[in-house]
Amino acid sequence: MRKLVLLLGIVLLMGLVALGAEKIKAGFIYVGPIGDYGWTHAHDLARRIVDEKFDWLETVYVESVPEGQEGAIIDRLVAQGCNVIFTTSFGFMDGTLEAAMRYPDIIFAHCSGFKRYNNMATYMADFYQVYYLNGLMAGALTKTGKVGYVAAHPIPELKRHINAFTLGVREVNPDAEVHVRWIYSWYDPAAAKEATEALIAEGCDVFAFTEDSPTVVQVAAENGLPSFAHYSPMLKFAPDYVVSGQLVHWEKIYEDFLVKVHEGLYTTENLAHVDYWWTLPQGAVELGADFGVAINPAWEDELKAYVVDHPIFGKISVYELVMIRHSQFGDPGITFDPFQGPVYDRKGVLRIPKGTWPSYETLVTMQWAVEGVVGPWPGEPEE
Amino acid sequence: MGWESWIVDTLRRALAYGTPLLWGTLGEIYAERSGVVNLGVEGMMILGALAAFAVAQSTGNPWIGILAAAVVGGLSALIHAFFSITLRANQYVSGLALTIFGLGLSGLLGTSWVGISLKNPLPKASIPGLKEIPILGPALFRDHSYLTYIGLFLAAVLWFVLYKTRWGIAIRSVGESPATADAMGINVFAVRYLCVIFGGVLAGVAGGFLSVEYRPSWTEGMTAGMGWIVIALTIFAAWDPLQAVGGVVLFGALYHLAYRLQRWFPPEFLKLMPYAFAILVLAVAGLRKVRRGAPAALGLPYVRGQR
Repeated sequence: MRKLVLLLGIVLLMGLVALGAEKIKAGFIYVGPIGDYGWTHAHDLARRIVDEKFDWLETVYVESVPEGQEGAIIDRLVAQGCNVIFTTSFGFMDGTLEAAMRYPDIIFAHCSGFKRYNNMATYMADFYQVYYLNGLMAGALTKTGKVGYVAAHPIPELKRHINAFTLGVREVNPDAEVHVRWIYSWYDPAAAKEATEALIAEGCDVFAFTEDSPTVVQVAAENGLPSFAHYSPMLKFAPDYVVSGQLVHWEKIYEDFLVKVHEGLYTTENLAHVDYWWTLPQGAVELGADFGVAINPAWEDELKAYVVDHPIFGKISVYELVMIRHSQFGDPGITFDPFQGPVYDRKGVLRIPKGTWPSYETLVTMQWAVEGVVGPWPGEPEE
Repeated sequence: MGWESWIVDTLRRALAYGTPLLWGTLGEIYAERSGVVNLGVEGMMILGALAAFAVAQSTGNPWIGILAAAVVGGLSALIHAFFSITLRANQYVSGLALTIFGLGLSGLLGTSWVGISLKNPLPKASIPGLKEIPILGPALFRDHSYLTYIGLFLAAVLWFVLYKTRWGIAIRSVGESPATADAMGINVFAVRYLCVIFGGVLAGVAGGFLSVEYRPSWTEGMTAGMGWIVIALTIFAAWDPLQAVGGVVLFGALYHLAYRLQRWFPPEFLKLMPYAFAILVLAVAGLRKVRRGAPAALGLPYVRGQR
């Protein structure tokens, strides 16, 4: 009898150990405050969603970590028992890689970078398709032929987005221009406001942006002008003026990644080639200024009334065009890319040959500006 | 596009962007004139911004929001006053602590207010008559915030008080030589307390302007360094309320032009232009040995009976 109890005890103990091993404690390192209503806010929203969804998952986070200090924070999270660590800023890349080498038993995933290791994956939810769709609408709505774009930093990610947006604008309005202003900050509401005011003074009448606050949307609405939201649901900031925008669903990526870690598919040995580049087909991004609202109904009529003579679809309203392209993007075997060649840069150099699509490398290293972009372009390649 | 519209646009934006800087700078001038440096402007502004937004959103009245910002700004300045005047702690450390405290506390308390659009922002107004003046009318007297007009008026009043009244003499003498002022029967501690709290009230309103007028919403860290520009402008203005108006308009104009001129000049250069200009003016003034008017006892705690 005593032997039986002992045996039972051992079995139970082993079961507990096994259960314990399956528990995941995930640490998230953020570059900004979770209340920024932009990048970090979106990551934290996703963290809370996955945290609630899985019993086997526990999450912790550290916010407002300056780039360069991620190493010390990772040490702390490891000491707290985290076995999966997400670092969510491009500038955390090298520190994350060093930590991955230092802690071979911990799984790392770095957002928006390109360096990987046995135990370090990369992931990104990219908007370029959605920016293109927004561009189609912006091209239809501008009366002055000048669309304003407030941009944070001149890096390939933003250049890709501005280019995709501009290609959309010019597809339906070949003479329109996209005027760009750089504010050199991910988050500086005053700079975003003054940049928008400067664009208004120059005659821009439709606005898009890449910056972590709803400032551009608010300033445009104050002046009675339409705009496209970025990152977070901003429809409520100007219900009459926000046409559409880009929304992110980081939880799709976090869920997929963590489930695969939990099931043992991802280990500390096999992440060197794990790179998530998720867009519309995977549902990591969404078209719209609020979840479930692709286009603000208040603007539908104007978009339906703007009819273009399209080389492929013939006479078609921009509203229909957006819907067709949107469904093409949603198809896992995508049949269209915004950068479908031929694409020339604004100096006349052929960047993407006729009939081809850009490679992933071309997209993530893009430095040139397409025709129609007006304004400074730091780092623009010579001819 | 004519040159008139450039002048009008630039002045308009300089005043709009400059309004919170003006309120903050006027407050800091009074605090420093009494001999107390307060590096907590950023912290007081952000607490004011949160208070204004939360109260304006809850009550539906932006003016009550601004009032709340003033109260919260004043109370947070009281912390600095207590540490630096009563406890004679290092003013720079105490002020920095207040900034860090304000940024942290507002982030913590503000989480439930993030992502909400203010339903009733502060209204704008035009001044009858003056708004008809060519160029200056549309630039300075049309469709600006009430707080912009009040700020300009306040600058004149504060200049008058500082230089033309007994109160002003008391404040200045406390800042120049607290021991002498004490001997003359001026209550050094009371003057310093009042000036620091007054500075906090104005910084609070400056923050409130940001969250209920300039960009009617709340996000964490939305002052984004404006408090530090206020500190610089205080020195730039040589601790003079009227020069503060000039400094703010100049800085605001350069700040706006940094985005206006991006088509023709490198954006990196334009972005640092306002700051580079401020440093240049300080350097030139220093070289010419112009007395810049820094209060002699600035930054020094006062201990009765010691010189």
